[in-house]
Amino acid sequence: MPSRGTILPMKPACAACLFVLCAGASLNAQIPPAEPIVLAGGRLTVGGNVSATFGPEDPGFFNYTDYEDSVLRMLRLDLNASFRANDHLSLLGELRSQNVRAPQAYALYLRVRPWTTRRFDIQVGRIPPTFGSFARRSYEADNPLIGYPLGYQYLTSLRADAVPSSADELVNMRGRGWLAAYSVGNPVPDAGVPLATAFRWDTGVQAHLENEVVDLTASITTGTLSNPRLTDDNSGRQVTGRVALRPVAGLIVGASAAHGPFVSTDAVLDAVGSEGDDSFAQTAWGGDIEYSRGYYLLRVESIYSQWRMPLLEERLHSLATLVEGRYKIFPGFYVAARLDHLDFSEVASSSGPVEWEAPVTRFEVGGGYSVQRNLLLKLTTQFDRRDGGRTRHARMLAGQVVYWF
Amino acid sequence: MANFRRLPTRWALAGIEWRNLWLVSVMVVAWIAVVPQSLTGGSPGAPPGGQPAAGRSGAVRGRVDIGQLARVVERRPGISDLGARRARDEPDRARSVVYLETAPRAAFDLVEPGRASMDQRNETFLPHVLAVTAGTVVDFPNSDRFYHNVFSLSKAARFDLGRYATGKSKSVRFDQPGIVRVFCEIHSHMNAFVLVFAHPFFSITDGEGRYRINNVPAGNYNVIAWNEGMAADPKPVTIAAGAVAELDLAVR
Repeated sequence: MPSRGTILPMKPACAACLFVLCAGASLNAQIPPAEPIVLAGGRLTVGGNVSATFGPEDPGFFNYTDYEDSVLRMLRLDLNASFRANDHLSLLGELRSQNVRAPQAYALYLRVRPWTTRRFDIQVGRIPPTFGSFARRSYEADNPLIGYPLGYQYLTSLRADAVPSSADELVNMRGRGWLAAYSVGNPVPDAGVPLATAFRWDTGVQAHLENEVVDLTASITTGTLSNPRLTDDNSGRQVTGRVALRPVAGLIVGASAAHGPFVSTDAVLDAVGSEGDDSFAQTAWGGDIEYSRGYYLLRVESIYSQWRMPLLEERLHSLATLVEGRYKIFPGFYVAARLDHLDFSEVASSSGPVEWEAPVTRFEVGGGYSVQRNLLLKLTTQFDRRDGGRTRHARMLAGQVVYWF
Repeated sequence: MANFRRLPTRWALAGIEWRNLWLVSVMVVAWIAVVPQSLTGGSPGAPPGGQPAAGRSGAVRGRVDIGQLARVVERRPGISDLGARRARDEPDRARSVVYLETAPRAAFDLVEPGRASMDQRNETFLPHVLAVTAGTVVDFPNSDRFYHNVFSLSKAARFDLGRYATGKSKSVRFDQPGIVRVFCEIHSHMNAFVLVFAHPFFSITDGEGRYRINNVPAGNYNVIAWNEGMAADPKPVTIAAGAVAELDLAVR
């Protein structure tokens, strides 16, 4: 789905050259390559991430982020930059290329700090996600494992531009979120959406206020958690809020909520014959806890999401829950594990009540070794189980090399 | 070498051309051994070069001209941050370390390891450069209100102190001479140097670049100035008993 995110297309070769030039500039200057490159008298800072992930085929599409890409078989190249115009104004952006395709502007926004003495910022443009905790640390170096949490990656059969005409049609798509097709709306088969995608950022305005203990963030965006957008498709706005508390060092407790129209205007028109209102929406609640001390780090996160779809009487509910831990065995080497479950509510089909999408459970365990500070090797094995679809079980071993500066 | 001898049997059993593997391993090890030193300017406190020990000592002093200050390590662009990060202090990059390239053999018996401290304050290691003798224990207190995680993957000292909160301190004993690059796992821009010497003949310059190394046995020496990973070419000096030799150095 490149069209959803492309606002600044660039040939892959150009992006590669840019990346190599930046890395080369770092080496020529004899700056240790872990450091970002600083230009324009300190106003422009450029960083980068490269990750190559090697894994087997995923016939059950457990790790796909759209119809083409699997997290376990991906070459990702990120080039990010921050330009500080003055103490009040900065421009931040990131170009990202996946599997040597044309780079997309993953992020591009203006950061305004009205008062330099107060930690209050307004960000406008393609902004970081307000909801939850994982989507802002989805860089490979921040992810102790290779796979992504199900709630942020697993493709359900739900789409914003095409809707099922009945519960039976929806149930027929169970376990086929990687390429779902419905009779109402856009007839072209396409990938479904996760609960809250970590692979695209939304467009809008965000306000953030923090002190040593509390973080408050609110945003208004064009798309929704499941379907962040650059351009609007339903004239609706999503409102998202997040509160994070840091009562003691090492503990972060967060709560998030979001609500916004999900189904596209075209799909609503096809379904009900009028534009309707904004009630065909996605509403989500999230809670997350992170605690770290010494050599271990523990994270628990849960996302509850519900969608109201045209032509379906019942609301569709989903709950994603993960528990993740990391422990450093010795300098440069850690082990990590994540248990993840994605559950769905039942709908009344002609064959009786059944979950509208097949529940999925994933357990991933592995470790990472830092060859040097900014060169990380990971090896993980992943066990997936799905109560539906053609492929119900999968076990995949994957390796990843991550380099950043 | 014992490990290398055992390797061929294992790899042969696995059907792998172990001869090639061995060659590649040697190349990789050689590369690892050479590259970090080229980046950091070599290892301080090299083994003694047989300089004659003297019964009486003198001193050497002078000034180090570093030309241009090394660039501050900037934070990585915080694209996924919800707001601008808090202000932080800049490390003092003007301080250089001046040391004797070699030292009298007897000097190595006289080294008494002590204790030193490198604070973590306002997302900066203080001091930014620490020079100690081998065996010294360095404390790393955390004076910030949030976590830090001091670690190093340097050859001379590989350690990870884990995450600890304000008011807490953890320590590392530096036994092996060399340059140790210290980082914080949580704040990627935080970095510092610990130079570990096998002898006590070193000094850190003051804010104006002045240094003085005392109690050096009379003799001929090479003096090196080091700043932010770059070392000046060794400069010869003759130290006479009871005298103070003058020697200015330039790093860049």
